[in-house]
Amino acid sequence: MEGSIEALVPALSLIGYGLGAIGPGIGIGIVAGNAITAMARQPEMQGTIRTTMFLGIALTEALALIGFVLFFIASA
Amino acid sequence: MAQLIVATSECDVVNEVICAPANVNELFEFPTIFTIGGFEVTRTIILMFLAAFVAVAILYFGLRGQRLVPTKFGVAVEGLVSFVRDGIARDVIGPEGTKYVPYLMAMFFFLLVGNLFEVTPLINFPITSRMAIPAFLALVTYVIFMFVGFAKNNFRYLIDTAWPKAVPIGLRWLVGLIEVFSIFILRPITLAVRLFANMVAGHLMLTLLLTSGVIFIAAIPEIGLKGSIGVFWFGLGLFMFLLEILIGVLQAYIFTLLTAIYIESSIHFEH
Repeated sequence: MEGSIEALVPALSLIGYGLGAIGPGIGIGIVAGNAITAMARQPEMQGTIRTTMFLGIALTEALALIGFVLFFIASA
Repeated sequence: MAQLIVATSECDVVNEVICAPANVNELFEFPTIFTIGGFEVTRTIILMFLAAFVAVAILYFGLRGQRLVPTKFGVAVEGLVSFVRDGIARDVIGPEGTKYVPYLMAMFFFLLVGNLFEVTPLINFPITSRMAIPAFLALVTYVIFMFVGFAKNNFRYLIDTAWPKAVPIGLRWLVGLIEVFSIFILRPITLAVRLFANMVAGHLMLTLLLTSGVIFIAAIPEIGLKGSIGVFWFGLGLFMFLLEILIGVLQAYIFTLLTAIYIESSIHFEH
């Protein structure tokens, strides 16, 4: 185990997941922020905007969650 | 409770900060209880039938006997039903959406009950954290929106997706490739993985925080001040508990909403 790359696999996959979560984090921030702006400008469109926001968040979040699953596969 | 015992017996309270079982699978795989005709029945399968039963019971007792003044429970169930019928099916798919209300309704209630099993005392296991259940539901959704797409648009569905006329000719093959890949391959996979991963993450987090909290609080006399970290873990676990209720409801909603959106995009796929 000493000096072998095998020992580093859990740590590396953890770092990889952390890096992979950056992009979706920024993406969800942009989606939610713009949805709030839109709702503030046109409160009467709130229902449609909320539906679209959840859709956007769900699609963006999928990347982070795939990374989460791959983390467990890699580190198991 | 079996999970708590597993973690308790193996946790080295002096050195570890979070008490995790030796293998993550211990949290999700249960031993076979009995076998029927070659099928091994585990706790997950019993809980799955219980979820379906509870979903049917909620609808039956909520909507039975229309009174002039409905009961409080009846009003709540009616609210949920009209939320799925008007808020999801008719808003997203349009007038044709009424046809898909039974499927969406069944899926929403099953997933809602299944996800909330995570925070139900004495059950504490989200059945959707086993890949088979989200994968099968995503497969049914995939079959439905493929069938609708080919039934409404014949083979133009496949051809126009792979060769979109609205895109300049130079980029057409690239856009077509991406579209085909995302619609025919990525959609069902992400639909299933999203629900599965959310529930796995929630269940893991709740189990680790709450077991760590209980174990460290119990070990305060032995490890002194360090044991007070258990109070923090337990408090964080209780906060996550509230968050998991929100996530469970939200994921059931998103799964149903995406199903409706996929069906809609198969019906009017030109734009």
